[in-house]
Amino acid sequence: MSYPTLAPFIQQRPWLMRWMRPLARWYFDNSGYRKLGLRADDLIPEESESVQLALKRLPPKEAYDRVFRMRRAFQCSLAHQLLPQTEWTKADEDISYLEPIIKEIEAERTEREDLESMIIKKRTSASTKGGH
Amino acid sequence: MLSRSAFRQATRQSWLQQRRGMAAPAIGSFQYQVGEAAGIKIASRDTSGPIGTIALVAQAGTRYETMPGLAEGLNKYAFKNTDRRTSLRIQRESELLGGSLISTHTRENLVTGAKFFRDDLPYFVELLAEVASQTSYRPHVMQEEVIPLVMMDHKKFLANTLDMALSSVHSLAFHRGLGNTIKPASSTPYTKYLTAESLEEYAQSAYAKSSFAIVGNGVDHAELSKWTNEFFGDARKSPLQQLTSPQSKYYGGEERISHGSGNSMVIAFSGSSSPTGASYKPEAAVLAALLGGQSAIKWSPGFSLLSKATQEAPNMHVATKSNIYTDAGLVTIAMDGSATDIRNTAGKVVEALKSVAQNISKEDFQKAKALAKFKELEYGQEPRAALELTGAGLVRDNKPYQIDDVAKSIDGVTEDKVKKLVKEALENKASVSAVGDLYLLPFAEELGLKV
Repeated sequence: MSYPTLAPFIQQRPWLMRWMRPLARWYFDNSGYRKLGLRADDLIPEESESVQLALKRLPPKEAYDRVFRMRRAFQCSLAHQLLPQTEWTKADEDISYLEPIIKEIEAERTEREDLESMIIKKRTSASTKGGH
Repeated sequence: MLSRSAFRQATRQSWLQQRRGMAAPAIGSFQYQVGEAAGIKIASRDTSGPIGTIALVAQAGTRYETMPGLAEGLNKYAFKNTDRRTSLRIQRESELLGGSLISTHTRENLVTGAKFFRDDLPYFVELLAEVASQTSYRPHVMQEEVIPLVMMDHKKFLANTLDMALSSVHSLAFHRGLGNTIKPASSTPYTKYLTAESLEEYAQSAYAKSSFAIVGNGVDHAELSKWTNEFFGDARKSPLQQLTSPQSKYYGGEERISHGSGNSMVIAFSGSSSPTGASYKPEAAVLAALLGGQSAIKWSPGFSLLSKATQEAPNMHVATKSNIYTDAGLVTIAMDGSATDIRNTAGKVVEALKSVAQNISKEDFQKAKALAKFKELEYGQEPRAALELTGAGLVRDNKPYQIDDVAKSIDGVTEDKVKKLVKEALENKASVSAVGDLYLLPFAEELGLKV
């Protein structure tokens, strides 16, 4: 995972999910990045190999939009201002566009490590009559 | 995520799926047994030995590609990520089984196959089925793995004058279709046409049941048919877009390309189609052996006319080849070496060719026939032999390429037939291509050829 999260744990339990959803919404709205026009995935730290590779794999349009959002947020931050309310990121726009790619890259890495540390056993005697 | 135990189990399962003893003793025949399984044409021959080869031969080489570079791209994309396995896992599993994966393309066909221990047939049939119907074409795999390979092929092509000349001669002789370059001759394929989407569309046409055949060497026919039925059930039934190419027509002409490193010159004329096609002329193989250029025995230039003609330039490479395709063929005489050598000997090469139209010595003719037959049968003995020709013949003409028959038809060639072939070639336009130092390399006109 790119950052620690309890989300999968909660998502597996619908009753807990019902409890947590208003809280989560309140938390996200208050964390402030949406008021700068960013998405949650824009906040993932870039300084790791898998995220760097994931950024390279973004479709051109996504990559362009990401840079645009960041520059806009940076300008807002410099000017000590928030975006006008109409331009805030809405909850349904705040989709995770980078995380699936990061997960895929990490799955590739884990698979490689698994294969590298695999213990190979010789074929059982039943198959040795194949002659090789 | 993949746990270690899950992987071990999966590998074990595929190993244990089927176990059988060694093959029956040698049958001594190269005949292919033909059949159909899961709506796919299959052919196999159970040659003896512990190693088996299977190949999926799709009629999707450069001749049929809808945009430049697709055949090359699909070739390089073989055995990459599928919906079920990653490319790394495919590699590691095949390595564990001691198999080797093959993926090549020619002007007409795309060959994806594997060599393996006989016992592992089910695993590799399943793998080929996955490559054909479940490969996932992803933009990042294109960017990170496939396109760099295509770029490398492009660079290699531009560095090799002989390849350039052969490619140029094909495009002179056949224009479109068979004339498409086999390796990317410019950067347009990967800058303009080759994307994950276009490749996926092409794959859906290339890997449809009607456009490929499965050919096996050293595998049991019943086994192959059984496992094909099992694994190829969900392959696409009809192609997304029928890949077709009009009947090839011979044009001819001359092309000269200047090149800084290396000099090559190729003279070509219309030859024979493959035995499954309509215009099959076994005399083309005999003519190629008669003109030759390369010696089959040591410490001697050999009997061939061209090696005699080019004796003064021993460092020059001369080779005659009868390139056969499903509906046409091209006999090429390729010269590669220093520009002065080519300049001095190209005229003699053409004279040797003209002399064949007049008179062939009995002894040379016998030797040429023997050599042509030997080459054909030797080719048939290799494990990968005739896989491609058989597959292509099956898909297009519903006939396998039977090496025994080919060898027999070479026996029936007479001197007159060879003379006639050369006469026709000299009367028609030749295809001549020179790549290298154009100041020294001769024009076709100067050699006395009609272009």
